[in-house]
Amino acid sequence: MRFFPGGRQVVIGEYESLIKAMTKANIPIVASCGGEGVCSRCKVLIKEGQVKSLSTGKLTGEEQEQGYVLACRSFPESHLVVEVSEESKLGVHQVVLGEGGGNLKGRADGSKPGDSILSGSNGLCAGGSGVPLFRKLCLVMPEPDINDSEDDLGRLVRVIRSVTGIKHLQTNLDVLRTLPQVLRQSGWKVTVSLTGDGRYQAVEITEVEPGHTAGQYYGLAVDIGTTSVVAQLVDLENGRVVGIKGTYNKQAAFGDDVISRIIFASEGGLGELQKAIVDTINELIEELAKEQKIKPVDIRAVVCAGNTTMSHLFLGIDPTFIRIEPYTPATNSIPAVRAGHAGLNTHPLALIRCLPGIGSYVGGDITAGVLITGMAFSGKLTLFIDIGTNGEIVLGNQEWLISCACSAGPAFEGGGLRHGMRAMRGAIEHIKIASGGADVEYKTVGGAPPVGICGSGLIDCVAGLYRAGIIDRGGNFITAGSTPRLRESIEGMEFVVSWSGESGGRVDITISEAEVKNLIRSKAAVYAGIRCMLQTVGLPAEAIDRIIIAGGFGQYINVRDAVNIGLLPDVPVEKYSYVGNSSVKGAQTALISGRAWEEIDEIIHKMTYMELSAGSTFMDEFVSALFIPHTDLNLFPSAQS
Amino acid sequence: MTVTIAKEKWAGKVVEMVIGQGPNAIKVGGENTLPFLRFEGEIPNEPVVALEVWDTEPPDWPDVLASAFDGVMGDPVAWAMRCVDYGADLVCLRLAGAHPDNKDASPAEAAATARAVAGAVNIPLMVIGCGIDEKDAEVLPAAGEALAGKNALLGCATINNYKAVTTACVLHGHSVIATSPLDINLAKQLNILINEMDLPINRIAMDPLVGALGYGIEYAYSIMERTRLGALTGDKMLAMPVVCFVGQETWKSREAKTADSDEWGAQAHRAVLWEVITATSLVQAGGSVLVLRHPESMKQLKNHITAMIKEAGGK
Amino acid sequence: MEIFKQLPKTNCKDCGQATCLAFAMALATSKISLDKCIHLTDAAREALDSAFAPPVALVKIGVGDKQVELGNETVLFRHDKRFEHPTAIAVSVSDSLSNDEIVAKVDAINNLVFDRVGNTYSVDLVAVDNCSNDAARFAEAVKVVANSTGLPLVIMSEDVVAAERALDVAAAGKPLLCGANVLNYAAMTALARKFEVPLVVKGAGLNELADIVEKVLALGWQQLILDSGARAVGQVLADQTQIRRQALKKFRPFGYPAIAFATNADPVQAVVDAGVYIAKYAGVVVVDSADPADILPLITLRLNIYTDPQKPLAVQSKVYEILNPGADSPVYVTTNFSLTYFCVAGDIESSRIPGYILPVDTDGTSVLTGWSAGKFTPEKITEMLNNSGIADRVSHRKVIIPGGVAVLSGKLQEVSGWEVLVGPRESAGIPSFVKQCWKQ
Repeated sequence: MRFFPGGRQVVIGEYESLIKAMTKANIPIVASCGGEGVCSRCKVLIKEGQVKSLSTGKLTGEEQEQGYVLACRSFPESHLVVEVSEESKLGVHQVVLGEGGGNLKGRADGSKPGDSILSGSNGLCAGGSGVPLFRKLCLVMPEPDINDSEDDLGRLVRVIRSVTGIKHLQTNLDVLRTLPQVLRQSGWKVTVSLTGDGRYQAVEITEVEPGHTAGQYYGLAVDIGTTSVVAQLVDLENGRVVGIKGTYNKQAAFGDDVISRIIFASEGGLGELQKAIVDTINELIEELAKEQKIKPVDIRAVVCAGNTTMSHLFLGIDPTFIRIEPYTPATNSIPAVRAGHAGLNTHPLALIRCLPGIGSYVGGDITAGVLITGMAFSGKLTLFIDIGTNGEIVLGNQEWLISCACSAGPAFEGGGLRHGMRAMRGAIEHIKIASGGADVEYKTVGGAPPVGICGSGLIDCVAGLYRAGIIDRGGNFITAGSTPRLRESIEGMEFVVSWSGESGGRVDITISEAEVKNLIRSKAAVYAGIRCMLQTVGLPAEAIDRIIIAGGFGQYINVRDAVNIGLLPDVPVEKYSYVGNSSVKGAQTALISGRAWEEIDEIIHKMTYMELSAGSTFMDEFVSALFIPHTDLNLFPSAQS
Repeated sequence: MTVTIAKEKWAGKVVEMVIGQGPNAIKVGGENTLPFLRFEGEIPNEPVVALEVWDTEPPDWPDVLASAFDGVMGDPVAWAMRCVDYGADLVCLRLAGAHPDNKDASPAEAAATARAVAGAVNIPLMVIGCGIDEKDAEVLPAAGEALAGKNALLGCATINNYKAVTTACVLHGHSVIATSPLDINLAKQLNILINEMDLPINRIAMDPLVGALGYGIEYAYSIMERTRLGALTGDKMLAMPVVCFVGQETWKSREAKTADSDEWGAQAHRAVLWEVITATSLVQAGGSVLVLRHPESMKQLKNHITAMIKEAGGK
Repeated sequence: MEIFKQLPKTNCKDCGQATCLAFAMALATSKISLDKCIHLTDAAREALDSAFAPPVALVKIGVGDKQVELGNETVLFRHDKRFEHPTAIAVSVSDSLSNDEIVAKVDAINNLVFDRVGNTYSVDLVAVDNCSNDAARFAEAVKVVANSTGLPLVIMSEDVVAAERALDVAAAGKPLLCGANVLNYAAMTALARKFEVPLVVKGAGLNELADIVEKVLALGWQQLILDSGARAVGQVLADQTQIRRQALKKFRPFGYPAIAFATNADPVQAVVDAGVYIAKYAGVVVVDSADPADILPLITLRLNIYTDPQKPLAVQSKVYEILNPGADSPVYVTTNFSLTYFCVAGDIESSRIPGYILPVDTDGTSVLTGWSAGKFTPEKITEMLNNSGIADRVSHRKVIIPGGVAVLSGKLQEVSGWEVLVGPRESAGIPSFVKQCWKQ
């Protein structure tokens, strides 16, 4: 079987679907529905050969005639030549990296991460009792003599302890076997590798090298997103980020959202899912290593931040009960594991720490966000909102923290929308609708020809459609004032944002009434979560000092439009800041700072998790928010003007 | 000891709506207190009672109900006049015959019926469609046009057909009944959408789709209490008078339809009480227009309202 | 936040909650008791204690499984939380009747038991009314009633001698003594204390009522039920509203359940009045009628008003028929969240094509929530297809599932053997969907 473009070849059996073949051939593909033949996003064109298709899903008659089939429901009956269309392919390297949120590089209160967390020599942790996950020490040891005849290991431990203050040290047999020779051949001048943070387990002497050879050791900070994975390579000698790469989570081939993946895992797919995410991270490691001209084995520590399900799947832990009432994961706080055990191609003894989570639906990615906002140690009341497939919300200050998750759905990530997409090249990220809908101006990521609309563009789009009088407050299209952009399709009314041919776009990019309503449901879920939380603690929205938005919106989010559609509370725009990918930033901080782990402990200790599905308040708030901007217009005074 | 009476100072009030025209017009709403609490506010208008009149013979009314309209069912004009004789405040004309499964009467036929009834009675009129949203979107504008200037109450406008029904009310000078299924937010959303079509709020009434006693009355009861509290706390989009279709729900119930039995007592007595207590409970929750079917129920409800107003803890 | 401020904020977890904030939230919704926090300062304990003491005292009438509990109410409107204890319905029996007539009426009262969705509901109390003004006769009548019913009694006499003689025969059943007034309160309170029975305190108006309650409390009895003396429905509504409002404001004399008497001379209006009292705060309502046609609506109203509005609104999981469907009508599967069900039912109606709805029991959650939580699965849908009897009602084997859970289609088809049609995501799409896709 051969794939175009690219020409990769692969051999598969007749009982393996084309999508399996593509996974083998390492061609990433969109299968939103998890291979159920429903979403029809995995369509491919059969150029040569015969296949047997079990279902045609939403393929049009025309497409079927042209030879399109669904990769997930088709099986080979001969040698094949297959063309994979651009829309079916997962984009590569174009996901949102850590740079988003120009106005908020580090801590949201304006202080740089280094202000409180990083200090001391080499930019490494010195404050607090914590130590970084990995470091090297250059030591000159006193030689033994008849008055000081302590054994080699005891001597080494004594010296390390006097330099670092670390009380409990352990080592392994490999180190011990060579220790006497290494110490003596090097003239008692060695470089020691220390692994472990000294909090949850003893620090281990993992390597003793002759001479002073520090330098060239790295850590990896990973954001394991449901959709995309971002990895930062960090020089552990000085704490600097030296490289960053992002790609799609290969698990996307098994379903779009957390629930689909849990179901897949529960039905025997746990191993496949684990392999998919490990492969994804290993590829990023390989690319980063190549780019920075380092060896993967020089990566000596890994910190991952991901939602609870992603953390479970990454380590092959059964996630089944995360989705079943009362929503109990195997653990919220995963102990450190060795990279060799987890299958990562770093140094095999490198420790992997997953940031701890708070509940089944508020995971380590949110802990990471709370960490970098500094909100848990601030007198200012802060609202942190991470808008992804799940909208996660944290409210609080130095005294208390409360969090919840509302199933916003993937609409703002482009999921479930015919022309929705993530903030990658060609995504329409900003839209202006004028002249009652006749004129549409837009901007795409990278100025490329438009291929779809991403989250920030969708927010602009709904706000613009309402402002132009094309939709009413309920999201229904108003057909009276007609513009050629408003037209009837098989699935109901739709609005054309971009005509095919326009700015080099290949198809009409549209948004339908059902999609607008889908977006309204998503925004209502987020807003209702915020309202429920404020009600629970008995505070008005005005009491919030600052609101920090995280998520994959791309480089920016139009807060004004987000307020106008009722996604975000109507408070002065100055209170808002956008932090971009807070998950990888938090992982990076935790990678280089022992102090960060103390803060994380404190965050977990303080955090109260609120289950929205208990009680009827959320449903009430949700229905109330299914309106532009809201049924209670008084909540949005500025949106009325 | 003198107990200091706890009085609420409400900022808002229920919008006052006029139905009908000329000397026979009636007013509903206008209260700035919870139902019947005269010690803390004004109740300028009592709740009013409408009796249903159908344009076709209702197929499944039990005898204890149908006997009250012996000889007039099937003749909407005579039926409406009987209702006037019984003392109804309004006639609620239900255009059931427009239903595609019934006679599928045309908009023109419906309009003729409405015109005939309006010509025969001198009390204000409510005109209710057949309940099929698309059909009502044709029938109600036609009926509205036929009654132009009569200031009738047209319904029901749902989220699916409110544009057509509202337009008819704006054009022909009627008020609208906005119907939404058992949710205060959906109700308010519909009110806003209708109001944004330039129908003033004193020409919108709300129908929360009440259930009968034993059939979900508590949902409507609480939604109506919340609606009234919303109105009193100044939410204009919840300040509309509430219409309760009590009869249509009551007479579907097993309790109203089951014959005399030892376990449940006499049907006639039980069925009327079912309708009256459904109505009085909803009046306690804030109902302003009660649409009933049985004249005896209406009499009992009116007696109760009079007693309530007269004796309600004077100031 | 007000509660949280009083807590130690150490997040020590000794109370079993993850954090102090979680404890505050649980306390605010009465899901935990204050004494679970063992680190409170005395000042904080006192402040929170008084804030969380129920504003309406708990009062019990009777003994054993027929015992009636009243009070502990915390709200003016059921939607604010819920009404805690349903109004006790008492049917009165006059001691002027002959003993045979008394037995006959009490039998009728005993028979006021109704079945509704699998549960039985009945009246709660028999009120013996001392109309004869004869103490000996009253005691005898009370004895006859007590021997004829398992329900607790209300001893209705303001004559201390008659009350005492009645209590001599009936005190073991802990009846409600009704009761004390401005003239007899000292003696009645002494009786209530002696026999340890709850006591109705009547005043002529709210001012006098408050006075007498204070005096009775001073005499050391706290099992009280309030009667403002009003009998006309409008005034009763006003007084009961005041009593509840004042109780919530912690006005101590009114911190007890109230009793109302439906004494309207018009028998229909008397039942209607009783309905108002049930909806508006009465702890006990006394009616005269034992006619099931009068009592059934009152018991039903009480059931409805005292339902907990916080529970998710679910419909029963069974086959529903819309517009009289036949053997070739479509079968729609959805969840038993009532709003979801109502939407689907409404849209099937407006499609004008009759159909069946099978709401799968998802604990009242919506389609996507139910699916996410593993409550709306191919297995559960199959179970419903197999066990609901739908297979006997239709001749085809096609089932329509909501578009939002299209992913279930393959598995469902496999497990159930039914052909699965994926319907629209929104129920509003049902009419056009069914017209296009339902061809038999």
